[in-house]
Amino acid sequence: MDDLRKEILLVVLLFSALSVSWAQSGPCHTVLKGRILGQDTHEPLVGATVYVRELKTGAVADSVGYFQISHLCSGKYIIDYQFVGYKTNSLSISVDADSSITIAPVQLVPDNQTLQEVVVTEHRSEAQQLLQTQVSLSGAALDQTRGQSLGESLKSLTGLYSIQTGPSISKPVIHGLYSNRIIILNNGIRQEDQQWGTEHAPQVDQFLASRLTVIKGAASIRYGSDAIGGVILVEPKAMPTLPGINGEINIVGATNGGLGVASAMLEGGFSKKLAGLSWRLQGTLKRSGYVKTPDYYLENTSYHENNVSGDLHYDNRKFGIELFYSQFDTKIGLFTGAQVGSLADLYTAISRPEPLAQPGFSYALDRPYQAVHHDLFKARAHVHFQKGGTLTATFAQQQNTRREYDYISFSGVGTPELSLKLVTQTADLTWEHAPIKSRNAGQWSGSAGFNGITQGNVRQYLFLIPNFRNYGAGLFAIERYAVGRLTVEGGLRYDYRWLRAYFLDEVSKQTYSKTHNWQNANGSLGAAYQLRPDLTLTANFSTAWRAPNVADLYSNGLHQSAVAYERGNPDLQPEQAYNGNLVLAYAGKRLSGEVGIYNNRIDNYIYLKPDSVPIVRQRGAFPSYTYSQVKATFRGIDATLTYKFTDRLSLTTKNSLLFAYNQTDHDYLVFIPPNRSDNNLRYDWSRWGKLSNLYVSLNGLYVSRQSRAPAVTTQQENGQVIFTGDFAPPPPAYFLVGAELGFLAQLGTHSLNVILSGTNLANVAYRDYLNRFRYFADEPGRSILLKLKLPLAFTKRS
Amino acid sequence: MNYVKKPFLLFGLIALLTGACTKDEQNVAPTDDNEAITTATLTLTNKATPTDIVTATIENLNTTADFSKATLNLKVNTTYTGLVTLLNKTKTPTLDATQEIREKLNEHLFVYTPTPATLLTVTLTDRDTNPAPGPYPVGLTTEIKTGAAGSGKLKVVLRHQPTVKNGTATPGSSDLDTDFTVVVK
Repeated sequence: MDDLRKEILLVVLLFSALSVSWAQSGPCHTVLKGRILGQDTHEPLVGATVYVRELKTGAVADSVGYFQISHLCSGKYIIDYQFVGYKTNSLSISVDADSSITIAPVQLVPDNQTLQEVVVTEHRSEAQQLLQTQVSLSGAALDQTRGQSLGESLKSLTGLYSIQTGPSISKPVIHGLYSNRIIILNNGIRQEDQQWGTEHAPQVDQFLASRLTVIKGAASIRYGSDAIGGVILVEPKAMPTLPGINGEINIVGATNGGLGVASAMLEGGFSKKLAGLSWRLQGTLKRSGYVKTPDYYLENTSYHENNVSGDLHYDNRKFGIELFYSQFDTKIGLFTGAQVGSLADLYTAISRPEPLAQPGFSYALDRPYQAVHHDLFKARAHVHFQKGGTLTATFAQQQNTRREYDYISFSGVGTPELSLKLVTQTADLTWEHAPIKSRNAGQWSGSAGFNGITQGNVRQYLFLIPNFRNYGAGLFAIERYAVGRLTVEGGLRYDYRWLRAYFLDEVSKQTYSKTHNWQNANGSLGAAYQLRPDLTLTANFSTAWRAPNVADLYSNGLHQSAVAYERGNPDLQPEQAYNGNLVLAYAGKRLSGEVGIYNNRIDNYIYLKPDSVPIVRQRGAFPSYTYSQVKATFRGIDATLTYKFTDRLSLTTKNSLLFAYNQTDHDYLVFIPPNRSDNNLRYDWSRWGKLSNLYVSLNGLYVSRQSRAPAVTTQQENGQVIFTGDFAPPPPAYFLVGAELGFLAQLGTHSLNVILSGTNLANVAYRDYLNRFRYFADEPGRSILLKLKLPLAFTKRS
Repeated sequence: MNYVKKPFLLFGLIALLTGACTKDEQNVAPTDDNEAITTATLTLTNKATPTDIVTATIENLNTTADFSKATLNLKVNTTYTGLVTLLNKTKTPTLDATQEIREKLNEHLFVYTPTPATLLTVTLTDRDTNPAPGPYPVGLTTEIKTGAAGSGKLKVVLRHQPTVKNGTATPGSSDLDTDFTVVVK
């Protein structure tokens, strides 16, 4: 542990040195601050929304009416200030190179024609109600990731990584935790898509989001048990409030893989009698062929994706109703070169510097592949009470159908090798009370609620996890008190989980079942204090738990793609996390940024422990693993710093350091993200000829070698070499160079957003520790991407 | 506010009803492995006396293999013609995998490795239809010669080598990898 301390100390020293030696910033780092008050009462309007039209992003006023929007680029913006029962106020502001702008308090006029008024509460990010470490991606930063999967997009944030299975499957990792330890809230609904599998990427259309928010660390109080690693919120853009039809077209193309993405959205609002009613239709098509490493194509890495969604809202000042449906359909080819029959094949493949089969480019998509379909239906209603407070009820049903087609040798069948159908129903009820003033000018705000869930899973063909039914219920309450420069928040939650798994006795052909139930109570406590107007310190401590899932308990089968035989353990106890975070945020004239440290201790951390003896099946020997529990710690530092050299030239550095340890066995944990440093030098012009918001940037990403991994050891078993820890040592460190050019071009009344970018420009051949196919092939080589976004506004029908 | 409370009750009811009515998970489908090989049989026929037929079979290969009938009892200095048969008994009716392999000769190769190497000499006697530099051997049929008395093992490996078959065992992946016991006396 001394080494760990030294490293942390070194890093802290490094950052302090950097912050002293650097000199200043960039045009997209302006922070806008302000306050929203009611003209009638001169009281702060808690929960009022601020919406930047051009960026389609916004913020929500806190418990004393203050709001803050960061990462604004230079330019002119129109900002809408809205609140229930008040008339919307639209003001324009001009942002230049200042790092921070504080505008005069905005006063909203009460609206008496209330039924005419459309109330929009959706602008605000749900997560902003929580005093927890969070990062988000929206506006221009989100546009830069268009066309990528959710997992890849999030990697531009500190503390986030992804576990990949070849180039087409990417699974988000927060502070070293993934799968069921993360909750993804897709449009407010907890996404349930067999996320226990390491090669199961989330089925979420990234184009649905106008903001991706990540809560780092245990956040289970509000969002449910399981979230011991964090929560990812995929939040759509606010529904239109004005009459008329608008739309948006996104086109993305990339040279590597011949990737083509087209996404279109159409939305509308109504006036007069139908005021308050709004709709949106959206769809995305993606096609990619074989991805190329610097030296060869990766056979069968093609994928397809077809998504559609529709949204219908009705809102007025008293209540609102929403119906939402989305469908996500994908077919993902798995790299053929990673298909091995046994451990012996795996070693042969590892010893090969390049895959054996190196075909030319193709869009062909054959076995092995995954075909996954996800349907989501959501109905939500809320009521604003006259005395204050809002009651929201949500019901959602999801159906996830996953079919995995393996490589077949001789059977010539058309059926999949694995088929899973998971149907989930969730019901949530949340009460948000009206803010209460305290005698010393402080304010209480908070919410309480119920979450219910039930799931049924039906499997077919090979056995990997059993059929099951589960029920879960949770009750929570969160209360926040804000006074002066201090905000304090506390939360409590109680959960009950019930799980029954169904099996077939192979001899008697009778079905039998096994039942588990668990319950647990958890809490969180946080505080934020503004030390100086430009310096805020936030501290948070929370506990969270996760009941073992059906894969942890009852997996029993050969994971052909993982070259592993996995055995569940029915005696597992729930995981219990104790998570502390400390974040210092600074917004100076030239230097701005955020440095956070975290410590997440997990008791009964569930992981796959290698068995001492391999298992022998028809194809030969396989290493076997059994789910086991240890005490694990995940500690690290996330640091984002921006320095403006001039008003136009800025340097941003994002650093994520993670130190994970198995405290029980005094060893490292497998599959822990190595440290990374993402550095970006950017030059902006607010106007250049007919172009606006023009920028060029140069990017350098350094990912170190994971030196903190279990030692790779070999031993002889029945004449076979058996590896423990891992099959091969972690790959070397790598450095990738990228560049980007972006601007807005005026096309008549529409403004076209153009981004031209290049990734891995030096065409470096490298492998990533977190790619499960790293034993077989290199990562993708150079790619040039073009991203176009065209907002459309159709003339109003009067 | 009664008129607004009703929808919430309705939501709750829908949630409960839809949750409670699905019983699909209670009908458990049996495990079904398309690519299972449950049974491997070697049939060796004495070339000189065709009535002298030796067979050895390994059962339950896809789970815990049963080697109780897996011994080939052979005569010294004798030439046999060998035939391998693979079955998938998890399917009804039983699937003859060798028949399927015969239809995809160009993707498959059987590799026979005796230990000690002097125990047997195995020659593959069939050919696929791969274009030049093929055709390559397949190994569904073999010629097996015994030498002096001794005992050991015969490893049988089935390699699946789509698009990469080159006459060697190296490319592709294994569909089968098992050992027969051999006694020569």
